[in-house]
Amino acid sequence: MTQNTQAPAPRTAPGSAPAAPRGLVDVRRRPSSWTGLWFVLPFLAFYAVFLLWPAIVGFGYTFTDRSLAGGDVSFIGLDNWSETLTDSDMYDSLWNTLWFTVLSVPLMVVLALGMALLTDHARRLGWFLRLSFFAPFVLPVTVMTLIWGWMYNPSLGLFNGTLSRFGIEGPEWLFSEDTAMFSVVAATAWWQVGFNYLLYLAAMQSIPKDVYEAAAIDGAGVWQRIGRITLPMLARTTALIAVLQLIGSLRVFEQIYLMTMGGPNFATRTVIQYIYDSGFVGLRIGLASSMAYVFMVLIIAASIAQFRLFSRKEG
Amino acid sequence: MATSTPPAPRTAQGPATTAPRPAAPRRRRWSVGSVALYTVASLAAIVWFAPLLWAFATSVKPEGETTVMPPTWLPDNATFEAYTSVLGRGDILRWTMNSLITTVIVTVLTLVLCVLAAYGFSRFDFRGRPGLFALIIGGILIPPQTLIVPQFVLMTQLGMVDTYWGVALPQVVAPVFVFILKRFFDAIPRDYEDAARLDGAGPVRVLWSVILPLSRPILTAVGIFTFIGAWNNFLWPFIVVNDPEMMTLPVGLGTAVGQYGIQYAQVMASAVLGALPLLVVFLLFQRHIVTGVAGAGIKG
Amino acid sequence: MRRASRAPHAPPPPLAPVGPGRRAFVTGALATAGLAAAGCAPPDTLISGETRLRQWNLFAGGDGLRMIEMHDAYQAEHPGIDFRATTFTWGAPFYTKVAMGAAGGRGADIATVHVSRLESLAPGRLLDPIDPGLLAEFGIDDTVVLPNIWEKCFFDGQLYAIPIDTHVLIQYINLDVCRQAGVLDADDRLVEVSGVDAYFDLLREIQGVTGDYGLSMDTWNPWSNFWALYRQQDGELVLGEDDFEMDDDKALAAMDVMYRLAEEGLAPRHSRDADTAANIANGHAGLMIHGNWEIPTLEATGIEFSATQFPAVFGNHRTRGDSHCYVFPHQRDRDPERTRAAAEYAAWMLHNSLTWAGGGHIPAYQPVVESAEYDALHPQSEYREAAENVQFEPEAWFSGSAGRLQEEAAGALTTLHQGTQTPEQALDQLKGTIRNLLSVPSPV
Repeated sequence: MTQNTQAPAPRTAPGSAPAAPRGLVDVRRRPSSWTGLWFVLPFLAFYAVFLLWPAIVGFGYTFTDRSLAGGDVSFIGLDNWSETLTDSDMYDSLWNTLWFTVLSVPLMVVLALGMALLTDHARRLGWFLRLSFFAPFVLPVTVMTLIWGWMYNPSLGLFNGTLSRFGIEGPEWLFSEDTAMFSVVAATAWWQVGFNYLLYLAAMQSIPKDVYEAAAIDGAGVWQRIGRITLPMLARTTALIAVLQLIGSLRVFEQIYLMTMGGPNFATRTVIQYIYDSGFVGLRIGLASSMAYVFMVLIIAASIAQFRLFSRKEG
Repeated sequence: MATSTPPAPRTAQGPATTAPRPAAPRRRRWSVGSVALYTVASLAAIVWFAPLLWAFATSVKPEGETTVMPPTWLPDNATFEAYTSVLGRGDILRWTMNSLITTVIVTVLTLVLCVLAAYGFSRFDFRGRPGLFALIIGGILIPPQTLIVPQFVLMTQLGMVDTYWGVALPQVVAPVFVFILKRFFDAIPRDYEDAARLDGAGPVRVLWSVILPLSRPILTAVGIFTFIGAWNNFLWPFIVVNDPEMMTLPVGLGTAVGQYGIQYAQVMASAVLGALPLLVVFLLFQRHIVTGVAGAGIKG
Repeated sequence: MRRASRAPHAPPPPLAPVGPGRRAFVTGALATAGLAAAGCAPPDTLISGETRLRQWNLFAGGDGLRMIEMHDAYQAEHPGIDFRATTFTWGAPFYTKVAMGAAGGRGADIATVHVSRLESLAPGRLLDPIDPGLLAEFGIDDTVVLPNIWEKCFFDGQLYAIPIDTHVLIQYINLDVCRQAGVLDADDRLVEVSGVDAYFDLLREIQGVTGDYGLSMDTWNPWSNFWALYRQQDGELVLGEDDFEMDDDKALAAMDVMYRLAEEGLAPRHSRDADTAANIANGHAGLMIHGNWEIPTLEATGIEFSATQFPAVFGNHRTRGDSHCYVFPHQRDRDPERTRAAAEYAAWMLHNSLTWAGGGHIPAYQPVVESAEYDALHPQSEYREAAENVQFEPEAWFSGSAGRLQEEAAGALTTLHQGTQTPEQALDQLKGTIRNLLSVPSPV
């Protein structure tokens, strides 16, 4: 049996034919026993120690003046919370995070769609396009920031060097408050758009062929087919990508930290970095925890929107 | 490398499950439109690949040539000097080793723990089962970035800061995979197991010789994504490792490359070396990765 | 970001059956795991027979090159020690890693920090005390180090640091320019002037030659200059629990000097990073006030220059300074043998700090400073008294080099150079900054 190269059952995806496999679930129920718990226990143990416990303890920290440096810890009530909620730097970093999200989400949806359309139509270049568009996604973030930091170098980099060929004096990219965020967004799009691109590509290639053939018989051109069939049928995929990207963008930290350290003049400091700065640079565990909890609530709200989206499609 | 189109994902997007597409596109004559299309597509792909080429071009220049303005793509005197200097320091090999060790720990533990848990939830009833499952699903919602502070404190208490276990263990808790695997196991008909059970196989035997062989595709996908995710993870290893000798590749490249100063060929050589391992993995597993992502999105 | 979004717990969800899996991925992974598990012990458990010694530092400039030179020599003399030094990015990233490493208990064996940051590193918790007896075995005690710096290394009566050097603001002299201005004596030493008016007159004479400025100074990070000028007048800054005392008149006098220097065109309104050294190197100014670590920079330009103590603007040569020192970050399981090696290393570096002096710093180890070799170092020997005139900042968790006070006070003080605020306004802002920092609970 193990030599089976194709599993028959999974061929029918749970979602596409919900009735059949779902029906089995109840049938196979055995009377209550402890066996199942033994299988679940190892995961639960890790889950409890490394996720649940920190989440609970972290909440406790928010009411204390605990320091990374150790020492006496005392209960200080809601001081950390009120400091977090009245701190203008916190709002600045929230705004930077939001601004990054607003800039990156539409860009990374539209780019991905364009790339997928190209790949879907220029089929002979299939592997080459997939390789080129997706390869940046597998790069470690540091490799990406080293390469883009070098290209962005104001006096020696590829961009300004090329511009100077045409007598144009390029901007300071990562070194100016006016351009730093845009530069970071562009680099991020290059690095991460590949994931969205593959999602689009898969969705496009699952559109039934006969729909296109019918349209072709009706005399629809390429653009009409894209406009009238492809895009409408991708609506749900687009919503999905947008939401996934939204949640991903809100959590931004590492590439910005590596490229600008949050500068210049804190113009690109995101919430996660501010939490890092407060907790590990400033040693204030309690304050950093309350910031983290404020931010966690915002992210969870966004994630619930995501779940809503999925449940609507199934309902 | 797969040159055919990826197999059509089986989707929930409509009642009709599509048949796989023909592997090759229909023969067509080269029209003006398709010439334009192929030109645009090729250009886009080349532009997208350019940063990697530029990194490579810089890395094979002698240091003196890297800062020549305006920039040139082809080095006048190509050399691998930068690579020998970077490799000679030994750091990159050490970090690659650290990455490999921690990534393998994460991947194996994640697969084992999630498979066991998913099997338990899928095939057995026990007291507290719905509550525990809900608890795990709720964990999907918690953004791990917001837990870095208490997790680090926990690691100091466990004495795991600057150790492989400290890097790896918090990464193995992936509730989303329990959810995914359980859904997959749920869809495997019980008949297969009944036969084995009649032969006297216990629950572990059933999992090992019936469920797992049937689940290879999903295990491959989960495995690959865990591997890529752990290999490229930056934030957590950056927090939990301070000792340069214990750093993973992404963290090491980010913290210590400052020492190279303005030796751009060496910086780019280290970037290229840092990119290589996963680019190779990507080329080897391209099809699994592509379809894995596809499956991810379509099913949400 | 997407990547961050799934790490460390939640990789992107590949759901449902996907492409056929023909590779025995699991088997492969398990096999690899077996191999890895066999070889995954952390390196410090490896038995090599050598004493492992890990040093962390923040020297990335001209002084960093001096340090590498010294480390090479140290290693050549100590084959039995598995020594490795790591240079981190200067400033907050370095201090963060030292603190986190110490919190985790497996950080460096010995690290180089600023003595002014000692309190912010929580001595006793993030730093382990140093046994003076152990140091004395290697010839380091209070008889070979200047007392004013040695005292700074104590906290709650225990020794936590070993001073390496003092670095101070000094005054650089472009000999060509100053010779033309007639402000040098026969030995090429700057004529001694004392008092604000006399100093401004001196600068005006130099300005007559350069046509631009008399003095080049950093306007971007002006706290150090302010502190020197304030302390020359005996100005005190007393930091209490949630209040502080400052002498407004003296602070205003110091600020007035900074304001008028730019206002009268004797010093630039904007000068940052390399600009400051560039201004004296290319003859836009005849004098420069800057840290002694700029000596290698000026040497590299090839100009003829000398140096002297910080000008006696308020009648004495007090100057703002700090010291680099060695500390022992906290370790969970402190190994006596490694601790001993660390102490021996620190002593060795002090004994050999003539090389260190080449980078401009004034060694803390007096036998070197009093030696004939140091005498021969020029211009280092010209300002060796500066180590006795050094003025440290008041101790607080936010003071010190790359500390928060230094970073945040720049906001108010820079406006003096730019002329956008009067000294009165800048003083108000500065006091607001200090009040804010005091209102933040100390994390240590």
